[in-house]
Amino acid sequence: MADEIKTLSAELARDPQSLVFLRLADLLRQRGQLDAAHRVALNGLERHPHLADAHDLYARILADKRDYERAFDEWDMARRIAPGHMGALKGLAFLYFKVGDVAQAVAHLEEAERVAPDDFTIQQALAMVRGQPMGSAAARPAGHAAALRPDAPPSPPVPEEPMAPPAGPLEDRRVFAGLEGAQEGLLLLDAAGRVLGGALRDWNGADVTEAVAAYLAGVSLEAGRTAKLLGFGAWTGLAAEGQLGHVHLAQPGPDALLLVVRDRSVPMGRLAIIAQRAAMAARRWLEQQA
Amino acid sequence: MTTRAVEAWTLQPLVKFTKEAEARLVLVMTSAGQVMAQHGFSRAVEVMSAAALGAAIIASTAAMAKELKQPPFAALTHQGERHGIFLAGFGTARGMLVVLVVYDLEVSSVGLVQLFFEQLVADLQAACPKEGVPKQVLAADFERELSDSLNTLFGR
Amino acid sequence: MTATGYARSLDLVTRVRGVRGAMIVSSDDGLVVAEHLMEGIKGSAVAALAASLANRLRRAMAAAGVGASVFWHLQGEQGALLVVPAASGIVVVAVAEPDVNVGLVRLELLRAAEAVR
Repeated sequence: MADEIKTLSAELARDPQSLVFLRLADLLRQRGQLDAAHRVALNGLERHPHLADAHDLYARILADKRDYERAFDEWDMARRIAPGHMGALKGLAFLYFKVGDVAQAVAHLEEAERVAPDDFTIQQALAMVRGQPMGSAAARPAGHAAALRPDAPPSPPVPEEPMAPPAGPLEDRRVFAGLEGAQEGLLLLDAAGRVLGGALRDWNGADVTEAVAAYLAGVSLEAGRTAKLLGFGAWTGLAAEGQLGHVHLAQPGPDALLLVVRDRSVPMGRLAIIAQRAAMAARRWLEQQA
Repeated sequence: MTTRAVEAWTLQPLVKFTKEAEARLVLVMTSAGQVMAQHGFSRAVEVMSAAALGAAIIASTAAMAKELKQPPFAALTHQGERHGIFLAGFGTARGMLVVLVVYDLEVSSVGLVQLFFEQLVADLQAACPKEGVPKQVLAADFERELSDSLNTLFGR
Repeated sequence: MTATGYARSLDLVTRVRGVRGAMIVSSDDGLVVAEHLMEGIKGSAVAALAASLANRLRRAMAAAGVGASVFWHLQGEQGALLVVPAASGIVVVAVAEPDVNVGLVRLELLRAAEAVR
C-alpha cells in the first residue's frame, strides 16, 4: 500500500488535474492518515467540484473524523449531482441510522437497492436495519452502525443479537419493584431518550419500548419549551387520552422521563396516581445509581 | 449543520434562531442581497442564488405594495409538499435586513418560524452596531467583496 | 363554520373558572384560526407551541399503539395547556390556571371540537 501511495502521489504531483487523487485519498483514509486524506480530497474537490465520487470520498473522510454534519452535506451534494450514487445513498443511510432515524435509513437503502439489486451488502444492511425497532441505533453497539457504512466490506450475515432492550426483567425489578404493569406499561428514560428501565408493549403484545423512547425525548423537550415560553414555569406532567389507551408523562428527576401507559379502562385520575408512585420508585432508583 | 457569519454580531442570534425554529436553511442578508450570515448551505453557488432570489422577491413585493399604496408586506410564506419558505425584512441600525428561512414541515411549522423570527429580529436589532454603517460597494469591488464573504461563509 | 360560530364555541370554554383563554389552531402550520384570550396571553406563541407539541405527541402515541389523541393536558407549576384535536388539521386549545377543573375544561373543549367539525 505504501508503494502505491508513493506512486499515486508522484502521479498527482505531475498532473494535479488527474483523478488519481480519489484512489490516493482513499488509501490514506484506509491507513488512518485522515488529515493527509482530507487535504488530498479537498484539493481534488476544488479542482473537480462537480464530481460526485469526489464528494463521496470527502464525505467518507469526514465521517471517519466524526464530522457527521459536513459528511451529510457532502453525501447530499454527491446525490444531487448523481441521484443514484451508491456511495452517497449508503452514506446517507448510515448517518440516518446513526441518529436513530430508521425510516430514512431504510428509504435510502431501498433506493440503493433499486439502483443495484444484486449488491449483497445493501441487502444485508437493509435486513439489519429493518430488524431494529425505530430509534434504537443510539442504544446499539457501534458495530451495528459500522455494518451500514458505505465502505463496509461484504461479509456473511451476522446473526442479530437477541432483541433485549435495556428494559429487561432485571431492570424492571430494580426500578419499578412491586408496581402494577412494570413489565409492559412503565418506562424510564434518560434525557437523551435512552431506556433506563421498564418496558412497553402495544395491545398486540409487540415490544414498542425503543420506538416510543425515540419519540419521547422530543415530546419532553417540546413540553419544557412550551411551559417555559408560556410562563407556566417547569412542567410537572403531560397526560393524554388516546382512542385505545391513556398515557402519562412525568419527570422523576431533572434528566429523566417516566411514561405510564394503560388501556382506556384506567381513568386518567388513577393513571396520574400510578404515575406518581412510579415516579417515586424511579426517583429512589436514580438516587441509588448516582 | 454549520452556521457562519460574515459579520460576527449576527452569528449568536442566528444560531439561537435555527435551533429554536428547527430551520433547515437560513440566510441573513441586506436588501441588496449581500449575505451577512448563513446556516445549512453547503455550496457558495446556492447561497448566491438564494440571496439573489430572496432580495428580488422582497424588492418586487415592496414594489407591489407601493402600487397598492400599502406599507411593505411584513413576511411572505410558501408551503410546499415537504418544506416551507419564510421570507421577511426588518429594519436595523445598519439598514434593512432580509431573512430567508427554509424549514422541514415534519419538524417545524410557519407558526414556530414566525414565533422565533420575532425573537431573531429583536436579538439582531440589539446586537447590531450603531456605528460603522457599511460602505457602499462599488461595482469594481463587488466581485472581491462577494468572494471574501463567501470564503468567510464557508470557512475557507 | 362562521367566525361567529367559532367565537361562540370558544366563549363557552372561557367561561370555565380558571380558563384564561381558548383558541382554535391549525395544527399543520401552528397558526391561530380563532382566539378568545385574556390580556397578556400571546396567541401566536400558544398556537405555534401547542401545534408543535400536539404533532410530537401524536407520533409518540402512535408508536405506543394507543391510537390518536382525544384530549391532552400539559400541567405546569404556574399554568396548564389543555388540547382537543378536532377536525383534521385543527386543535381546540385552552390556557388555564394550574388548579383549573380539568374535567370541566375537557368537556367544554370536546363540545367546541364537535362544533367546529
